[in-house]
Amino acid sequence: MNKTWKLVRTIVKMQFSLAGKSTSEQIGYAFLFIFAIPFSIFIFYAIDGIVGGLYNILEPAGNESFILGLLFISMFVVLILVSVGSILSSFYFAEDIESFLSLPYHPFQIMLGKSAVPFITLYVTNAAVLAPGLIVFGMHSGSGVLYYIYALILWTVTPVLPFVLTAIIVMYGMRFLNLSKNKDRMKIFAGLFTFIFIIGINIVLRMNNSSTDAGEDLACLIEEQNGLLNTITTFFPTAYLHSITLTDPVSARGFLFLVLSLIIIACAFVLYLTAGQKLYFKGVLGLSGGSKKKFDEEKITKKIKQSNVLFISWVREMRTIFRTPTFFTQIIVQSLVFPVLFIVVILFDSNGGDFSISSLGSMVEEIEPKRFILAMTGFTVFALGINPASISSISRDGKSWFNHLYMPIKAETVIMSKVWAAFCINLLTLLVIGAVAFIFANIPIGIGVIWFGMSLIINWITSVAGTTLDLYTPNLQWTDEREVFKGRLIGILALIIEVVVFGSIILFLWNVDWLEGLWMTSSILTAAFILLSFVCHLILKKVIRTHYYSIHQ
Amino acid sequence: MIDIQQVTKEFSGKTAVKNLSLTVEDGKIFGFLGPNGAGKSTTIKMITGILPIEQGKITINGFDITEHPLEAKKRIGYVPDRSDVFLRLKGIEYLNFIADVYDVPTDIRKKRIEYYAKSFGIYESLNDHILTYSHGMRQKIVISGVLLHEPEVWILDEPLTGLDPKSSYTLKEMMREHANKGNIVFFSTHVLEVVEQLCDEVAIINNGHIEFLGNMSEMKQQFQEDDNLEKVFLELTQNE
Ligand SMILES: Nc1ncnc2c1ncn2[C@@H]1O[C@H](COP(=O)(O)OP(=O)(O)O)[C@@H](O)[C@H]1O
Ligand SMILES: [Mg+2]
Repeated sequence: MNKTWKLVRTIVKMQFSLAGKSTSEQIGYAFLFIFAIPFSIFIFYAIDGIVGGLYNILEPAGNESFILGLLFISMFVVLILVSVGSILSSFYFAEDIESFLSLPYHPFQIMLGKSAVPFITLYVTNAAVLAPGLIVFGMHSGSGVLYYIYALILWTVTPVLPFVLTAIIVMYGMRFLNLSKNKDRMKIFAGLFTFIFIIGINIVLRMNNSSTDAGEDLACLIEEQNGLLNTITTFFPTAYLHSITLTDPVSARGFLFLVLSLIIIACAFVLYLTAGQKLYFKGVLGLSGGSKKKFDEEKITKKIKQSNVLFISWVREMRTIFRTPTFFTQIIVQSLVFPVLFIVVILFDSNGGDFSISSLGSMVEEIEPKRFILAMTGFTVFALGINPASISSISRDGKSWFNHLYMPIKAETVIMSKVWAAFCINLLTLLVIGAVAFIFANIPIGIGVIWFGMSLIINWITSVAGTTLDLYTPNLQWTDEREVFKGRLIGILALIIEVVVFGSIILFLWNVDWLEGLWMTSSILTAAFILLSFVCHLILKKVIRTHYYSIHQ
Repeated sequence: MIDIQQVTKEFSGKTAVKNLSLTVEDGKIFGFLGPNGAGKSTTIKMITGILPIEQGKITINGFDITEHPLEAKKRIGYVPDRSDVFLRLKGIEYLNFIADVYDVPTDIRKKRIEYYAKSFGIYESLNDHILTYSHGMRQKIVISGVLLHEPEVWILDEPLTGLDPKSSYTLKEMMREHANKGNIVFFSTHVLEVVEQLCDEVAIINNGHIEFLGNMSEMKQQFQEDDNLEKVFLELTQNE
C-alpha cells in the first residue's frame, strides 16, 4: 500500500511540477486563477437560477428529487466524457509508460498511479458543477447539517463510478484491440469509441422518453411523488439512490440508500482493481513493441506517385495528427467534444426545454432573423474558438521543425498546409453540428446555407489566427507530445482574442437599428469577416517573415 | 561550387563561427574536420539555410542562400546530424514526400527508391513508420532521400556516426561515386581517419575559425610544423 502511494505521489508530482516552467507561464497560471473567481461566481448564479426555478415548480408535488437526479445523471455523463480522453492518454498513450513497466509493481498499482491525474481532472469538473448544484439545492430545500454531510460524502464519491466504469471498458477494449495488432486502426477506433458510447447512451435515453407521450405522462408523473425521478434514473441506479438520500436525509431510508450507494461504489472499485490487474498490461505491452507486418512490395510501389507540394505537405500534417495518439486525442477528439455536447443538449432536452428540438424550430420562426443569424454566428465562434489543430500547427513539429528550413519549399507553402489541416479538422466539427441541427431542428434551408457559408469563413479565420499565434510563440523543445498542449496559455489566449474580436462585431451589429433582415445582416457579417480574414493573412505574412527562420534557434 | 565569404555567427554573445571563408570546387569531396563544438554544424546550417547569416555571404552554384533560397536549396541535399525527421511518416511516404519537394518524376523515383533502399538494406522496412527505425536506419532513409534527387551539392553532418561498418562502406562508396559525376560532397567529421581515406580537400576548424585549408599531403606536413595545429591534431586522434 505504502509503495503504491509513493508511486501515485511521484506520478502526480511529475505532472504538476512547475519546475522548468518559465515565470511568464507561472504568471499566466496566477491570472487563470484570478479569472476563475468571477467565473465561478457566474456559474454559481447560473446554477442557482436553474435549480431555484425548477425547485419552485417541482417542490409542491414532491418532485424536487428530480433536480438532484438530473444533476447526478448529467454529472455522470460529463464525467464519463472527461474520463475517456484522459484515461486513454494517461493509461496508454503517454510516452512514459515504458519506464513504469520495468518497475517492480503489480499492474493494478501502476494503473492506480496512472489514474491519479485523470482522477484529479474529474474532481475539478466535479467541483465546478456538482458542488454548487448541491449547495444551491440545500439552500432552497432549507435542509439541515445532515444534508450537507451526506452531500459532501456523495460529492466525494461521485467521480468514482463513472471513472471506474470508463476505465474498465477502455481497458477491455484496448486489450481486444491490441489482439488485432493494428496500431493505426486501433487509435482511431479508440477515439470513435467515445462517441459511439455517448451517442448510445443518448439514444437509450431518448427512446425511453419518446415512447411515452410526453405531455400527458409528464402531468401524471408530476402528481406522483418522485415520479419524475423514477423515470429519468432508470438507467442510473446510483443517481436514484443519491437523490433519495439527499431529498430525505433524516429518514432511515435516506441513510440506508447512502450506505447502499457507498457499497455499490466500493464494489465497482474492487472490480476496477481486478480488471486493472488482469487487463491493463495486456493492452499496454503490445503498444510499444510495434507489430511486425508482412512486407508487401506492391503496397510500396503503389504509394510512389507525384503530387503537388502543398497537397503532400497537407497530407503529412493530417497523417501526423491521426497517427500520433496524443495529437489524435487532443485535436480530433477535443474538436468533437463541442458538437457532441450539442447533441447531448438537444437530445436530452427532447421534452420541451429551451433547447429541445421542437423549440429550436419555433425559435427560428419567432426570433428576428438578424438576431438569429448573429446568435448562430456567436455560437459557431465558440464551437470553433478553441481550435487545437491550429494553435499546435508549428509546435507539433517539435525538434523536426528545422527540416522545413533546408528544403526548397516556400515558408508560405509550409504554413498554408498547416492552416488547411486545421481548417479541415474543424470542418468535421461544423459538419457534425450542421447535420444535427439540420436533421433535428427544422432550420430552414436558406438560414442553414448562410450559416454554413459564414462558418467556413469563421473556420478559416480561426485557423489562420491560431497558426499565427503558434508561429509567434511556439513550443518546439518538447520531449513528450503532451507538452504541446499542456501548460501553454495559447489556447485561452486564442479564445480570448477571438471572443473579443468576433464578440464586438456581433455586439455592434446586434445594437444598430439601421440593420435589419436576414440578407442584409448576413451580407454585412460576411463582408466584415472577409475583411477580418484579410487582416489575419497580413499579420500571418508578417509573422512568417519575422519568425519562420528564427524560432528554432 | 560552394563559396563561403567572411561568414560570422554569434549565439547570445558567444561567437560560434568567426570570419570563415572557403570555396569548394565541383567534383571534390571536401572534409570539414574539427573537434566537438568547433562550429561545424553551425557552418553547415548556414550553408543549408537553416540558420540566418548575420555577416558574410554564401553562394551555392551561383545562387545566394539568403537572396535566392529556393534556387540554392534545390541544389543541396542535406543529411543532418540529428535524425529528427518526420517520425510519424512511413519510410516510403517520407521518400515520396522528398521526391515531390524536389520534383523527381514518378518513374525515376521508383527506380531510385528501390535502388538506394536496397543498397542500404532498408527496403523491407519502407512500409513501417520512421519512429520504429533505429538511429542508423533513420540516417539511411535520410541519405536515400537525398540521393533520390541527385543534388549537385551533397552536404553531410557527421554522416558516419551510428552507421554499421557495412553501411559505412556503402556510404563512402556513394560519396565517391557522387563526386566522380562532377558533384560536390561536403561532409563534417571529428575523425581524422575518415578524412584521410576519403577527401580531396580538407579544412580544419577549431573554435569557429579555420586553422588549415588544403589537400591531404599539405595537411600532414603542416601538422609537423605548426604547434597549434598539432594540438588540434591530438584532440582529433584521441577521439575514438
Ligand atoms: N542554438 C545554439 N545556441 C547557443 N549556442 C549554440 C547553439 N548552437 C551551437 N551553439 C554553440 O556553438 C558552438 C559550435 O557548435 P556546433 O557548430 O554545433 O559544433 P560542432 O562542430 O560540434 O558541430 C558550440 O560552442 C555550441 O555550444
Ligand atoms: Mg555537430
